[in-house]
Amino acid sequence: MDAENTFETVHLLLEDWAERFETPDPTRLDVYMTQIDDLLPAVVGLRVKRLGYLAAIVGLDPGIDMNDLEILYTFCTEQLMIILRFRIPKINGSVPSLCDIIPSAESFERELREMYGVNIVGLRNPGHLYLPDDWKEGVYPLRKGVDLRIAFQNN
Amino acid sequence: MEIILDFLRLLIFPSGLFLLLAGLLYEWVDRKLLAQLQNRIGPRWFQPIADIVKLMGKEEVIPDGSNKWLFVWLPIAALAGGLTAALYVPIMGIKPAFNFTGDLIVTLYLLSLLTLCMGLAGSNTMDRYSLLGATRTFTQLFSYEAPFMLALLGPALVAGSWQIDKITAYTQNHWLIFTQPIGFIVVIIGLMGKLELPPFDAPEAETEIVAGALTEYSGRGLALFRLGKGVEMVVGLTLVAAFYLGGVSNPVLFLVKTLALLVVVAVLQAVLSRLRIDQTVGIWWRYGALLVLVQWLFMFVGQRLTL
Amino acid sequence: MEEIIERKPFEVQVGPQHPALKEPGNFQFTVDGEIVTKASVRLGYAHRGIEKAAEERNWIQNIYLVERICGICSHIHAMTYCLAVEHLANIQAPPRAQAIRVLVAELERIHSHLLWIGVTAHEAGFDTLFMYSWRDRETIMDILENLTGNRVNYSANLLGGVKIDVDGEQKTGILKGIEILEERTKHYLNIVTTDVFFLQRTRGVGKMTQRQAEVMGAVGPTARASGVARDVRIESPYGAYDEFRPNLIIEQAGDLEARFIVRVKELFESYRLVREVLDRLPEGELSVRMPRRIKPAEFAIRVEAPRGELFYFVKSNGTDKPERVKVRTPTICNMTTVVKLVVGHQLADVPMILAGIDPCFSCNDRMVIVRDNRKIETIESRR
Repeated sequence: MDAENTFETVHLLLEDWAERFETPDPTRLDVYMTQIDDLLPAVVGLRVKRLGYLAAIVGLDPGIDMNDLEILYTFCTEQLMIILRFRIPKINGSVPSLCDIIPSAESFERELREMYGVNIVGLRNPGHLYLPDDWKEGVYPLRKGVDLRIAFQNN
Repeated sequence: MEIILDFLRLLIFPSGLFLLLAGLLYEWVDRKLLAQLQNRIGPRWFQPIADIVKLMGKEEVIPDGSNKWLFVWLPIAALAGGLTAALYVPIMGIKPAFNFTGDLIVTLYLLSLLTLCMGLAGSNTMDRYSLLGATRTFTQLFSYEAPFMLALLGPALVAGSWQIDKITAYTQNHWLIFTQPIGFIVVIIGLMGKLELPPFDAPEAETEIVAGALTEYSGRGLALFRLGKGVEMVVGLTLVAAFYLGGVSNPVLFLVKTLALLVVVAVLQAVLSRLRIDQTVGIWWRYGALLVLVQWLFMFVGQRLTL
Repeated sequence: MEEIIERKPFEVQVGPQHPALKEPGNFQFTVDGEIVTKASVRLGYAHRGIEKAAEERNWIQNIYLVERICGICSHIHAMTYCLAVEHLANIQAPPRAQAIRVLVAELERIHSHLLWIGVTAHEAGFDTLFMYSWRDRETIMDILENLTGNRVNYSANLLGGVKIDVDGEQKTGILKGIEILEERTKHYLNIVTTDVFFLQRTRGVGKMTQRQAEVMGAVGPTARASGVARDVRIESPYGAYDEFRPNLIIEQAGDLEARFIVRVKELFESYRLVREVLDRLPEGELSVRMPRRIKPAEFAIRVEAPRGELFYFVKSNGTDKPERVKVRTPTICNMTTVVKLVVGHQLADVPMILAGIDPCFSCNDRMVIVRDNRKIETIESRR
C-alpha cells in the first residue's frame, strides 16, 4: 500500500466532508472535517476500504480563549497514518460514539470524556476509567487553565 | 501408672509435642528441598517453628458474619484429629500406643477430619475466596479419598488384618512397593492430594483465590491449622513408609524411609505445575480409581493362584 | 433466625489488591460455580496525571517524567518521546545513537519477556519455571546495569541522542550474557510446548480468533499470537530499525500457548538483533544539539513496546514546554480483549488470561489522590 494511492482513495472518499487536506509528513494525511455528524459515515467508509485501524483518539485544547476543542481520530495502516480532525464547541459539544463500529474505541472515548468533558452520545459505559469515582463533576483535567484545586476541595 | 504413661504418650511422645515439632521439621525439609530444586537457597531449619511462634502471638481477627464458636474450635478439632491419628501409627518406629481391630479405618478418617475441618472453616465465613476454596477442598476430598484409601487397604488385604500394627508386622518382611507398585504410585499421589501439595494445590491456589479456605484465618487459628498440616504430613508419610517400604522397626529406618519419600514428593512438587480443580477430579476419578482397581484385581488373582 | 437469601449473582472481585495482580487494577467477575459469566474492569489506581504534568515541564524535564510511566518499558517511552521531539525540531540523532537506542530497546524487550514468562508461570502454579526465568532475568539486568548503570529505568536517552556508549569490554560482556540466555531460552521453548501439565493450563485457554483480535483492537504479541500480522518495527520502522530489521513472529492458535510461543520466539529474535547491532555499530558521535524552544508543530509516532504498539502524539507551541503530550499505551488496547474473552472460562483460568496480555497497569494509568487534611495538594505543586 503506497502513500499516494491510499491518500488518493481517502481524498475521493472524504472530499465532500473535508474542509482541507494536509500532509505534514510523507506518511501522514490530516483530514480537516467540517461537521462532527460526518464522523460515523467517514469511519464506516474508511473501514469498508480497509484503510487502517483506530490507533488513538487524541483530544486537544487550543487554548483558554478558544471556544472549540479539537479531536483527532488516528487511523493507522502499515506505515501510513490518517487523522480525521474535528472541532467541537467546548460548551455542550457532543460527539457520536464509535463503539458500535469499533468496540475498542470504548476505552479511548471514556478517557476523552473524563479528561476533556466531551459528551459522547451512545457511549455504553460512561463511568470513569482513570479518574476516581468521587472526582468532582465538571473539572476536566486536560483542559487548559483548569483549576485542579477545585477537585480537591470539600472532599 | 498406665494412665500416666498414656497421657505422656498423648502429650509428649510420640504424639503431642514431639509430633508437632516433627511436623514442623518435616515442613522445613520439604521447603528446603523445593527451594534447592528451584535454584534458590530456602529457609533455615527453624523457619517453620519461628512462623508458628510468631503466628501464635498475632491478633486473631474473627470476621463478621461467621459463627464465632465454630471459627475458634474448628482449628482445634483439626489438630486434635491429626494428633489422635498419630497414636495408632508407628511414629519413630515405636509400636503404636493404642491399637484395636480396624484402627486403620479410624486413622484414615481422623486424617480426613482435618481436611473436613478446613473445608468447614472456609464455608464458615462470608468471604468469596474462602467459599471458593472450601468448595475446592471438599471437591478434592471426594476425589482422592477413594483411591487413596483403597491403595492403603491393599496392604491390609494381603496382611489379612485391619489393624495397623499387625499390618506392619507383615510388611516388615514383604516390601509391598515391589509387589504392589501401582498401589504405591496411587498412594504417593493421593498423599500429595491430601496434603494439598502442588500439583494438587488448587484449593489453596494463591494466585486465584488468595489462600483458599483459610483466607480469613490469622493468629492462633492459622497456627493450629498449619500445625495440623505438618502432623498430617508426618502421619501420612509414616503410613506409606510402613505399608509399602517394608515397615519401620526402629527410629533410624523410620527417618530414612520417610525422608526418602519426602524427597520424592518434593521433586514431584517442583516438576509439575498446578492442575485446575476440574482436571484434578478428572485425573482422580478416571485414572486413580481405575489404577487401584487394577491393582486389586492383580492381588486377588495372585491370592487365588497361590492358594 | 435464618433469613432467606435471594439468589444474587456471585461476584468475585480480583483487585485492586490480589496476589494474581502484580499491579493494581479492579476486575469484577460474576461467577456461576467456577465459570465466569460477566466481567468488567476499572482502572486508575496508579494514575499520576502524567499527560497534564508534561505540559508544565520543559522538553528536557519531560524525558525523566515519561521514563517513569513504566518500569519495564521505561526506555521505549523515553526513546519514543525523544524521537518525536527531535522530529518536531527537525533534528536527526546521529546513527550511532540510534543504534544504541535499538540495542537498549531490544535488551529491554528481553527483560520484559523473561519477566512475563515467570509471572505467567507463577499464575499457573508452575513456580519452578517462575524461579528459573527470573534467575535468568538477573543476567539481563546485570548486562543492562553494566551498560547503563541501572537495572531497571535505564535513562539512556537524551534529546538528540544517547548518554551511554558501548566499549569493547561491555560488548564482550553482553555477547556472553546473550549466549547463556539463548541456551536457557531454548529450554523454555521446550517446556512451554511439551510439558503436559503446563499445556493443560495453556492450550485452548483464552482463545481469540484473528477476527476477534482485529475487532477488539488487540496489539503486540497478544495480537500476533492470533495471526494478526502487525509489528510496528517492521511495517513502520523508526529509529535504526530500517537498518536492523526484525522478523515477524506470528502464531495462529490464538490461545495462551500461542502467546507463550510468540514471546519466547521474540526472545530469539531479540538476541539476534542485539548481536547484529553490536556487530555493525556505526561510528560517530552520541548526540547533537537541540534547540531549547521548538517551533509550533505536531507529530504522531507509533513504536513497538514489549507489550505492543505504543502511540505518542506531541504538539509544540514555540515555547520550551510542550503544548500536548498524548500517550496511548498497548495495555489499554488489550484490556478490552480480557474483559470479553474471560466470559465462559473457569475462574482458575482468569489470572492466566489476564497475565497473557502482559498487562502493565503502570503504563495504563497516568490518579492517586493524596489527601492531606491540612493542605490541599494539587498536581502542579507535586514537582
